[in-house]
Amino acid sequence: MTLTFIMLVLLFTGALAWFSENRWQGSAKWLALIVLALLATVFTIFVISYDQPFENLQVLTRVSWIQTFNIEYSIALDQLSIVLITLTWLLAIICVLVSWQEIKQKAGFYYFNLLATIAGIIGVFVAVDMFLFFFFWEVMLLPMTAIIAIWGHEKRHFAALKFFIFTQVSSLLMLVAIIATGYFHLLATGELSFHYLDWLALDMPLSLTQYLMLGFFIAFAVKLPSVPVHSWLPDAHTQAPTAGSVLLAGVLLKTGAYGLIRFVIFLFPQASMQFAPIAATLAVISIVYGAKMAFAQQDFKRLVAYSSISHMGFVMLALFAFNSIAFQGAIITMIAHGLSSAALFSMAGMIYLRIHSRNLTDMGGFWQSAPRMGGFALAFAGAAFGLPGLANFIGEFFSLVGVFQVMPTFAIIAALGLIGSAIYGMVLFQSSFQGTAKQEILDLSHRELLICSSLFLMLLVIGLYPNLLLNFSFGV
Amino acid sequence: MLTTAHSQASLNIDIISVILPQLIIAFGIALALLLVAWKRSQRTIALFTGAVMLIALAANFSLLTIQPTAVTQLLKVDSYSAFAFSLVLISALVSLHMSHQFLKAHIEVHDEYYLLLMLLVLGAGILVTSNHFASLFLGFELLSISLVGLVGYHRESNFSVESGFKYLVLSATASSFMLLGIAFIYSVTGNMSFDANVPNEIYHQQNLRLFFEVGILLFISGIAFKLSIAPFHFWTPDVYQGAPTPVTLLMATISKVAMFVVLVKCVVAQNYLLYDNVQLLLMILAVASMLMGNILALKQQNLKRLIGYSSIAHMGYLLIVVIVLSGESLSFTWQSVLFYLSAYVVANLSIFMVMAAIQSQCSSKVGQLLHYKEELLLSDLRGLFWRIPSHALLVILAVLSLAGIPLTMGFIGKFYILSQATIAHAWWLIVTLVIGSGIGLAYYLPIIFTLFEKEDCTEFKANKRAIIEHVLVYSFIIIGLVLGIFPDVVSQFIVSNPM
Repeated sequence: MTLTFIMLVLLFTGALAWFSENRWQGSAKWLALIVLALLATVFTIFVISYDQPFENLQVLTRVSWIQTFNIEYSIALDQLSIVLITLTWLLAIICVLVSWQEIKQKAGFYYFNLLATIAGIIGVFVAVDMFLFFFFWEVMLLPMTAIIAIWGHEKRHFAALKFFIFTQVSSLLMLVAIIATGYFHLLATGELSFHYLDWLALDMPLSLTQYLMLGFFIAFAVKLPSVPVHSWLPDAHTQAPTAGSVLLAGVLLKTGAYGLIRFVIFLFPQASMQFAPIAATLAVISIVYGAKMAFAQQDFKRLVAYSSISHMGFVMLALFAFNSIAFQGAIITMIAHGLSSAALFSMAGMIYLRIHSRNLTDMGGFWQSAPRMGGFALAFAGAAFGLPGLANFIGEFFSLVGVFQVMPTFAIIAALGLIGSAIYGMVLFQSSFQGTAKQEILDLSHRELLICSSLFLMLLVIGLYPNLLLNFSFGV
Repeated sequence: MLTTAHSQASLNIDIISVILPQLIIAFGIALALLLVAWKRSQRTIALFTGAVMLIALAANFSLLTIQPTAVTQLLKVDSYSAFAFSLVLISALVSLHMSHQFLKAHIEVHDEYYLLLMLLVLGAGILVTSNHFASLFLGFELLSISLVGLVGYHRESNFSVESGFKYLVLSATASSFMLLGIAFIYSVTGNMSFDANVPNEIYHQQNLRLFFEVGILLFISGIAFKLSIAPFHFWTPDVYQGAPTPVTLLMATISKVAMFVVLVKCVVAQNYLLYDNVQLLLMILAVASMLMGNILALKQQNLKRLIGYSSIAHMGYLLIVVIVLSGESLSFTWQSVLFYLSAYVVANLSIFMVMAAIQSQCSSKVGQLLHYKEELLLSDLRGLFWRIPSHALLVILAVLSLAGIPLTMGFIGKFYILSQATIAHAWWLIVTLVIGSGIGLAYYLPIIFTLFEKEDCTEFKANKRAIIEHVLVYSFIIIGLVLGIFPDVVSQFIVSNPM
């Protein structure tokens, strides 16, 4: 009940913020911030006080929803979803903070969309009825598309359209796979069911699961994203407002990885095992291609966007290694990338606010006027290319170690991506903060300092004490 | 009425109660003629028509759970036809409200418009209950002829004559095709009733079979014309654009619902799908419609044309259900068809309601003459969300429903279709549907984006006095959302018929 309550409160607060902004200007952001902090606390208390262990899925609610298809409203939690929801809370608060100054027009409706997206994302992480999962999967898209299309940069409509069409078409394939599995359940047991736990108990022949798995895989590969279905990401990330990019890179990409773990690998283990060489090849191509493309970009946000493709390639490679070390690595990479890309996109937003450009050629020498900003930028770039001591290093190290035991060739090629990331990381930092000073900019304000330092602190804590996450088994 | 005349022997109170809604409409038409003789007033006739339709709707409500009852050879009323007829009546009521807004600005009194509207509803009522090729043809013609009158009604409009003639000529051609097809089918089976058993010899005798199949081909092409299924769709965009908005709404809802229901009835009863060629034909029609409709809609700037093309695609989606139809899951098929049609009708009603509101507001009054705004472009919606959120929300919901995004009825409808196709392993149709909806997004989403664009036209503001309009808008927002999230509310009305 608590989780349903949280999602409803998010939606309700969004509507309230929309309404109150019309009355009292500037109230929406405070409302959003306070409610997000409160709900995050409620969620934490709920998880801590829950008496069952979260190693396996704990079904919290299960009520009938659409009787015609025996669809249930069913939500559950386990360690994986708890970790990802925690990340969502953190980034949601960051999102409100980065939008503080940036969003001036139609702010009320903006916060409505932001909160609705967050509600949808939480729904994706907790839904265990597949129809419900699909429902949330699509519903979180709508406000996200609105954020890109209304508050985005110059080519926002094109980017929003591309983002939506890519995800929608691929998710229709997933819908077909969901329906097919549901009806296979009907044939096998005599009852139509879309419940994840029922499906886990189902014994499906490999000849069927390889196609079903593919339906799910394509939807999640688009969201992850993996080459060759990645092309929506650079556009969407670049055109979105800062908070949109933070949310996209930080959490939305993780829903793809989450789907891969829960609905591809756990649900169709044999079929995924069979598919692993292809998936791993795609992952390695993503890693190298993402790094190469990032290196060639002139646009700050586009560069970070391509680096995301590279990093999420590590996640996919590690997942398809079927090795517990690699699996741990994948989850840490997910969290670490969530934090580091959010940090870099916030940095891009802060620079954009000062010089109204995302172009690296317009930047340079900012260190002189804004040393604190430069320090953080260096740290975040370091995190992105896997500097030891920060979270990304642990994730990528574990992934590569795990993958090396199973598929050594893939691990070796993937390691090349690390070199690439060092190059684009340095290009990013040098061209913006070093060299001759092109402009003078203001240093970080208190609010921005809070954003940067909290993100940096999280990266540092996980980097120095990874047992924080390694202690969990995540259902393996 | 024809049915009563034919069946005086078996006419009793039970049978009357079963076709009561249709009888009420027919009686209403006669009364309306008397009313015209007694008092000619725009307001009176509109109120009268509305009252007749409301009474018919109320009478129809009790039929939703009825057992299949044959009314003579010609008609058969069952819960599905009752449900379809309620959809027809609801669309007619909304269209009536819009028509009144559109017509009351004129000095002339347009009684005949309302008469034609009622005739159209009667035709649809006969179509959805028909169980015989004769009644099918009767309903078909009643529907077509009154639509021809309505399409060309707005005489001052530039496109009225063109679209009226286009519709008249093509509609007549389609009816004659259909009539020839019916004649061919009759020549083989020797019976015009849907319940007639098709003799088995047809399978074996090459000549008979060819005749029969050509008959079906002609028959289906007649229906496909009305449903604007590709390649019989060429009239759709022009006529949609040229007709007055309330009439376009009638074409998009009533005519589609009635024709599709009768198509399903016919295909179910006569087992046409046993013939591979018929299945192949329907498959080609479906694939062509899904692709053509969506691709042609892509660059449209005129809203009505865009809706016209999208209707082609939607009929293509719905045709999938007919293709994969199987004897065992008939009630599921009916449920899918009727649910999808209701989703489609609700979405169209919503979008047309806003279109009509914009048109009537943006029309400028020059002296006594009203300069009616005919062209409704996509850009007319610009910034609507910031000016009138309720209207814009309605458009958003309707467009999302047409695009099949969750939270809306359209998604559940698509879920029904995909379920049907998955059970039948119709993978190619599914692939086409997925591609079609992908292309569809490329024109549906820009509509929504336009709503959010910066406001620069302040022409259209909410009309505070139009209470009915506001009630309608808000109730359709609520209907769209509630039925999209809890589709069981609709499904429970589509009660399955015990065979």
